[in-house]
Amino acid sequence: MLASILASGLAVGAVYALIGITYNTMYSTSRVMSFTAGQLGMLGGVFGSLFMLRLGLPWPVALVLTLTACALLGVVTEFVAVRPVLKSLDQHLYVLSTLAVALLIQNLTALQWSTEPQPFPRLLEMGSGIWDEKYWLPVGACVVTIVGLEYLYRHTLVGRAFVAIAEDNFAARALGLPERNLRIASYALAGAVGALAGFAGGQLLLAFFANGPLLNFYGFIPVALGGLGNNRGAVIGGILLGLFQQAANFTVGGIFSSVAVFTLFIIVLLLRPQGMFGAPVARRV
Amino acid sequence: MTITRRGLVQASAGLAAASSLAAPALAQSEPIKIGWLAALTGPSSAPAVGFNRGVVYAAEALNAAGGVKGRKVEIITRDTQGDPTKAVNATQEMISQLKVHAIWGPTNSGESLAVTAIMARGKMPNIHPCVVDSLIDTTRYPNAFRIAPSNAQWDDAVRGYTLNIAKAKKVAVFGDTTGYGVSAANASAAALAKDGAEVVVKANIDATQPDMTPDMLRARNAGAQAIVIWSVSTGMIARLLNTRATMGWDVPFIGHPSLASGEIGTLIDKPANWEKVYAIGYKSCSYDAAGKLPPRNEELLAKLQGKVNLQDTLLWWVACGIDAVNLVAKAVETGGSSSSESIIKTWNALKDYPGYFGDYSYTPTDHNGFPVSDIVMSAASTGKNGTFALAPGYG
Amino acid sequence: MVRALWPFALLLALAALLPLSGNEYWALIATRAAIYWILVAGLNLIVGYAGQLAIGYVALLTIGAYTASVLTAGTVMAPIGAFPALGIAAVAGAFFGVIVGLPALRLRTFYFAMTTLGFATIVTQITLAWQDVTGGGIGIPGPALPAPMDTAWGLYWFCLAVAVVCTWATANIAHSRFGRALVAIRDTEVAAEAAGIDKPRMLVLVFILAGALAAFAGGLFASLQTYITPDAFTFELSLLFFIAVLIGGRGSILGPLLGTILLTLLPEIAAPLAAWSTFLYAALLLVIVLAIPGGIAALLDRRNRLALPENRDIRPDAAALEPLIGQRGAPETMALRGIVLAFGGVRAIDGVDLDVRQGEVHGLIGPNGSGKTTTLNVISGYYKPEAGSMTIGAAALPPGAPEGRAARGIARTYQTPRLIGEASVLQNVMIGASISGTATFVESLLSLPRHMADERRMKAQARLALAAVGLSALAEVRADRLQHSELRFMEIARALMLKPGFLLLDEPAAGLSVEEIKRLGALIKSVSRQGTGVLLVEHHADLIFDICDQVTVLNLGKVLAAGTPAEIRVHKEVVSAYLGG
Repeated sequence: MLASILASGLAVGAVYALIGITYNTMYSTSRVMSFTAGQLGMLGGVFGSLFMLRLGLPWPVALVLTLTACALLGVVTEFVAVRPVLKSLDQHLYVLSTLAVALLIQNLTALQWSTEPQPFPRLLEMGSGIWDEKYWLPVGACVVTIVGLEYLYRHTLVGRAFVAIAEDNFAARALGLPERNLRIASYALAGAVGALAGFAGGQLLLAFFANGPLLNFYGFIPVALGGLGNNRGAVIGGILLGLFQQAANFTVGGIFSSVAVFTLFIIVLLLRPQGMFGAPVARRV
Repeated sequence: MTITRRGLVQASAGLAAASSLAAPALAQSEPIKIGWLAALTGPSSAPAVGFNRGVVYAAEALNAAGGVKGRKVEIITRDTQGDPTKAVNATQEMISQLKVHAIWGPTNSGESLAVTAIMARGKMPNIHPCVVDSLIDTTRYPNAFRIAPSNAQWDDAVRGYTLNIAKAKKVAVFGDTTGYGVSAANASAAALAKDGAEVVVKANIDATQPDMTPDMLRARNAGAQAIVIWSVSTGMIARLLNTRATMGWDVPFIGHPSLASGEIGTLIDKPANWEKVYAIGYKSCSYDAAGKLPPRNEELLAKLQGKVNLQDTLLWWVACGIDAVNLVAKAVETGGSSSSESIIKTWNALKDYPGYFGDYSYTPTDHNGFPVSDIVMSAASTGKNGTFALAPGYG
Repeated sequence: MVRALWPFALLLALAALLPLSGNEYWALIATRAAIYWILVAGLNLIVGYAGQLAIGYVALLTIGAYTASVLTAGTVMAPIGAFPALGIAAVAGAFFGVIVGLPALRLRTFYFAMTTLGFATIVTQITLAWQDVTGGGIGIPGPALPAPMDTAWGLYWFCLAVAVVCTWATANIAHSRFGRALVAIRDTEVAAEAAGIDKPRMLVLVFILAGALAAFAGGLFASLQTYITPDAFTFELSLLFFIAVLIGGRGSILGPLLGTILLTLLPEIAAPLAAWSTFLYAALLLVIVLAIPGGIAALLDRRNRLALPENRDIRPDAAALEPLIGQRGAPETMALRGIVLAFGGVRAIDGVDLDVRQGEVHGLIGPNGSGKTTTLNVISGYYKPEAGSMTIGAAALPPGAPEGRAARGIARTYQTPRLIGEASVLQNVMIGASISGTATFVESLLSLPRHMADERRMKAQARLALAAVGLSALAEVRADRLQHSELRFMEIARALMLKPGFLLLDEPAAGLSVEEIKRLGALIKSVSRQGTGVLLVEHHADLIFDICDQVTVLNLGKVLAAGTPAEIRVHKEVVSAYLGG
């Protein structure tokens, strides 16, 4: 019982963490929280199922195609829903524009794919019971992503430019960094990370059009707990959320588990307003 | 030009007069307008998608045959997405704006609860397939007719099968966390306990929960001999079935028609996982040992061939959609008028109308038209063109 | 004022003509829009004015709907009438409005947004689980209003009337010192604190109001739906409320009102597309946000698209100071003794002594990083010194507590002007008089005489202050259209609204032309002669030596020299270290 809660908690926690990283990646270059994060995760599952089960492609090809498709969608989002509202960021119009894009994605999926969950194939045919690949694939994907991002941010020029933009947009622009191109790149990267979350978690979450809002919701909690823009915080927050949610599902049942999750979330935030790993805000004057 | 208040009053009064004068003449040629409140894109839209195929087919068939007394049948569809607010808006639009002659739907109980009173106020003839018992009440909603079983009837069938045929004394009841899942599971558990069964576990499971092992383990540890399911979530049902197989447990699953949904076949790890699963089914849509449906529906199947896809839906949904449209057409034909009084009067006198889904009878004091005896349990994994074999244990 | 009212009059006229159609579908949609607006009117104060992202406000609609329904259905006690039930729902809404809103006092933007969503989820799950009372998934009938509100048109007229009252009442708040305070909290929390605006109190007041309105709307919603189940209270509905404010535009009543009507109508326009309707709805949303990124309010604000005159002059008028500030009695002295403040081990100020006398201009100079602005921030209460004391006359000035400074007569300006870009110059200036308001929140809500008197007085004062600094001609212009130099003078006008005993100016001459600096100097001097003690941080040595009565020179957080300008001019260390002579 405990093993099963741990296995599924870690697995969904890893998916939530990846969606959290998707949010963070888009946020870091644009200061926008995009409602498309969850939809990218949903599409990771749907595209995966489409390429493998309906088109019969082998999984590595399907993975590459899925990531590419979602990266493209990320770029489209940047053009359509983010760039036009950047001028008036403090009016929070991005809530509206990214939500509209998210709704378009979700509705199109409902109409063109299916409104019922569709199967997602086993990829490696490895493991059974609590060691089944469906539990450790998301965790693996999460590890690969975080290691990859750390490498990108620390050891590559593009990555350092990302960090510079994330830390101080104006200064970075003054230094002559191509802010706009970096933002487009970050949306493509976020698309790929979101898609990877959905692809790796496909066997758990299935290829289901309604996964989007759910992932939006539970993917944001790690971001808030870990501190905006803090990927390591998001991973720890995501894993904790997954474990807590699965434990609550079992101990208090499906109805009260969401009550428990949100109550705890609100309490933690009130105790640590900047998230568990966020730095306190700098002086305002 | 200036629009004055008086001018507007005169204008609208004039319009009203014109339309009322024109009414008798129009009624002869005007199409029969049927409003169709369908949850086509919401999270629990599988039934409505199935119904819709029947609706479209029936309307085309009627019109191809020259319509009803020369009048075409026109279906006006609104997607409610299962949202009661959208359903209320669409219902009022159909009553006041589109002036439909009858409404078919909505298809989810939550929506139906919200719109039934509005249709009663608008005296709108209404047929719906929603299962909540309180929706049928001939004093409060004299214009609402049910074309499908009520939840109590479903529950009776499931309970009867669980206690008498599966011979289970200890039962686990699972619902999802939607309004329907919660209330159906509560009602079912209460009725089982009343009939002497021991409800060892009653749980509402979040349909998105990725792993059902804890719930299944709890049921097994409590000694459950049967698991009763109330949910329309195919994803959740498939996960439960896969978990049962992984545990090497052979407890029977009994319950909601969704257990037999074709989607589950694609979601389970291997076909064997779908054995010993018994879903609510209907005599009209169940085949016998020779693989034959009742004659009327064999005929229907032949007609639908190539026109309506039955692979990913259930025949009873399609049949029910056809019947709903035909019931309206029949009422207009028999009563000779598409006025709401006439339609309701005709339905109230309906006796053993031979539909594809069932034989319907209504009286002024009973609007549960579906024959209880037609409800059977079917073996979920035996789906073929959206029809099923009877569950074991029936004479 | 009349010009601002005509769109409302037009909408009301259209609403009054609607029943002539006799179409109950339109009645339903219009009633729905009215009910949504009752909620959005309150939410607008939270989101559009105070800038708090309350995205899950459906929670309060749910609470109101269930409270009213449960009480009329009698599942917990004997059933009561629909109107008492609606009243109790509003009270419950006011209470839970505060609960849902409280995290805003500690959390910022997204974090607060998510807690409101969390509340929405919790409320829905409780209605689902608490079957004995709420009917669980089966739901419960909504309250049936008595005749004549029991027909479609009767309910319409009632909801319309309530909506009109809500529009009026929330507009009253928006155009009161409370509304201006909320906007100040949103755009420039620092300046709001300095003006003595008590953020927690302001937010709690609007949370009470918005919660009550939302829950009342919930009761009406349940009545309109005739029957409620938990699935009626969707995330989409919550977003609709939030989005209505966003596309309406911030700091406007008309914009969000039109936004609410638009968002209620859009899905109906899209409905004939059946399964594709939501797709079209989303596409239309995207088009709206791309077409009018400033919101409907900005679209309607034609006046502020007219060009401003190119060559405009700032001509301060010292004559306006007398009626504005009046004369003070015996001058007092603000004294700082041994102030020490360190940031991470570095002593930014290290034992500073300072005396600012009323009626004098006291210059505070020194190289960058010498601790000038930090000293101002300590006086303003933004920083709490680690050691030292501050007094005004005989009374101690407590360290910290910036929002208490206005009450002690301390006003200030900032190195980068702190302004509310979307508000007019006049409104920006009126912020400065926030603490002089005498009308309570309820008096302002209902526009009672004391509120009217407050507004008249503050407006007259603000016009005087603008005359004093020379910006009278720009009173009605949006503040973000002003030039930098004009903003500096606007900040001084705002500070003067307090009739300050002490005025702290942080580099007011930065970015000004030579001519403007001269006028600024004269203005500062005139202000001090009204009995105000001016503490002037400045880099322009000429200005300092021209107008100051006393000068203190800081270096590396310590006082290098203090005395009259004549003494400082010849002070050896100052000359070598700073004046570069």
